[in-house]
Amino acid sequence: MRIQKAMLVFRKDWRELRRNWQVTLPIFIMPFMFSALLPSLVVLIRAVAFVPGAPLGGLATVVKNLPSQAQNELAGLTDQQALFYVVSIYFFAPIFLIIPLMASSVIASDSFAGEKERRTIEALLATPISDSELFLGKILVSFIPSMIVTVASFLIYSTVVDVFSRTIFNGRLLLPNVIWIILIFGLAPTVALAGIGLTIIISARVKGFREAQQISVILLIPILILVFGQVSGAIIFGPEVVAALIGAFVGVDLLIFRIGVRLFRRDEVLSKLA
Amino acid sequence: MVRKVSIVSAVQAAGLTKRFGSLTAVDHLSFEIREGEVFGLLGPNGAGKTTTIRMLACLISPSEGSASVGGYDTSKDSLKVREIVGILTENPSLYEKLTVYENMDFFAEAYGLSDAQERSSRIRELLEFFRLRDRKNEKVAKLSKGMKQKLAIARAIVHNPPILFLDEPTTGLDPESAKGIRDLIEGLSAQEKRTILLCTHRLEDAEKLCNRMMIVNKGKSVIVGTAEQLRSTIDSAPLLRVVLKGMNQRIIEAVRGVRHVRDVNVENSASNLIVTVDDLAAATPEVVRNVVQAGGEVLSVNPIQPSLEEAYLKLVKAE
Repeated sequence: MRIQKAMLVFRKDWRELRRNWQVTLPIFIMPFMFSALLPSLVVLIRAVAFVPGAPLGGLATVVKNLPSQAQNELAGLTDQQALFYVVSIYFFAPIFLIIPLMASSVIASDSFAGEKERRTIEALLATPISDSELFLGKILVSFIPSMIVTVASFLIYSTVVDVFSRTIFNGRLLLPNVIWIILIFGLAPTVALAGIGLTIIISARVKGFREAQQISVILLIPILILVFGQVSGAIIFGPEVVAALIGAFVGVDLLIFRIGVRLFRRDEVLSKLA
Repeated sequence: MVRKVSIVSAVQAAGLTKRFGSLTAVDHLSFEIREGEVFGLLGPNGAGKTTTIRMLACLISPSEGSASVGGYDTSKDSLKVREIVGILTENPSLYEKLTVYENMDFFAEAYGLSDAQERSSRIRELLEFFRLRDRKNEKVAKLSKGMKQKLAIARAIVHNPPILFLDEPTTGLDPESAKGIRDLIEGLSAQEKRTILLCTHRLEDAEKLCNRMMIVNKGKSVIVGTAEQLRSTIDSAPLLRVVLKGMNQRIIEAVRGVRHVRDVNVENSASNLIVTVDDLAAATPEVVRNVVQAGGEVLSVNPIQPSLEEAYLKLVKAE
């Protein structure tokens, strides 16, 4: 596989993407809502405006199931501090896995389906770029912007959390911490790659962008299971869990890439021209 | 079917077949295209022309049969085939949000022009040739249909391919642009000796440009040959057009009296006679003599050949 050919496809798509605000706008708006508005309005403000003596509600289970190291971190904290700590550090962690998936879903859905709709696919497939180079190029153009958005969202989220934590924890800044750094730079990329790979496989096999996007929404289900698992206390994003998930997703990514290249057939792509 | 032995084959197809479910789009096509030849693929819509080009360009694989392009097997060396082939697809297939230059630059690099300076000089040369240099920084979306077609052809030859597959290059163009494209194809063939497979349903293009052509219908080959050979398949009596300065009944009767003349008709212009004969060589001098003897003045005498269109329609209908 020639990496420069994959990078060529990436550069071409990236140029096109930058000039298409209908695609780029949702990519930036949705993560901003997840990283700044949602935590500020729904959860963190509630934690800041904490009424002493109020029950922890559903979060009590999360607190109870936290790893022992995290339980130690909560020792000596007031109820308000504990609530804020759990919500900001643990509750939002899996939600950040949705951001790269959402950001990449629009671009990945458009990868081949969009080229079919715009009738540019035939000339692209006629070039001496191999299937794996084409597939990797399309992955990169979804992966790189989605990771930029994810890291940017993480920076915004860290700022929002730290603004509140300075008040609640008397000047202490909670983020970034080690788990979140591993989550953002280790788990989020591997989860994103799996989602992107599957979406691109779908995009190559359907007629249009909308169809690809509708089907790719299904990919959010496993991540939503992690979110609900976290909320219910069944899964806690401690270091061991995050490390195990990274390992599992690396395997899944490699498998998806191999399957994707094997399933990629120019016949199939051209037969689905809109 | 007319068959000729080729000296060097640039493209060879043997029993090429493509099925889409129960539909057989291309049905056991066998043909060869010689190096430097312009070979036409003619046929009505849905005849299987585009599918044939797609198989030869390794865009789709055949259900049966085999093909070689430039000596490379299309099923085993698809990357090599794509490297030596330039293709103009049915529609321009250009990136509308990219500029003219960016489109050319992407495809030039994709086709292996990795040196930036070499790429830039080749693109400049082509844009100059196609009179697109002034538009190089404009987005493709802003170009006219004719300009897009020119750009798509420029893209097809950006890597100097020895073999070109052109799918309906003049469709949808105004007469001036269509002529420009035809001149270009003529130039690519005559001056640059490229092998060209021209897929068209415009008989005018085929007649002007192709050394040989194949008519396909419902995926099957109907005939392969030169335009002349295709015309000769029309089994009709030879015709003679006699243009006169004036016309009267005496002249018509005098022509009718010629031994080899079967029928005489007056054309709309009223001073032209269309004479159906048995034998052109024997009838022509006698017709002229009789017209003169009847007091007529002959301006010109020409045999009327059946048009390629007539031959085409007859062959396609016969299938």
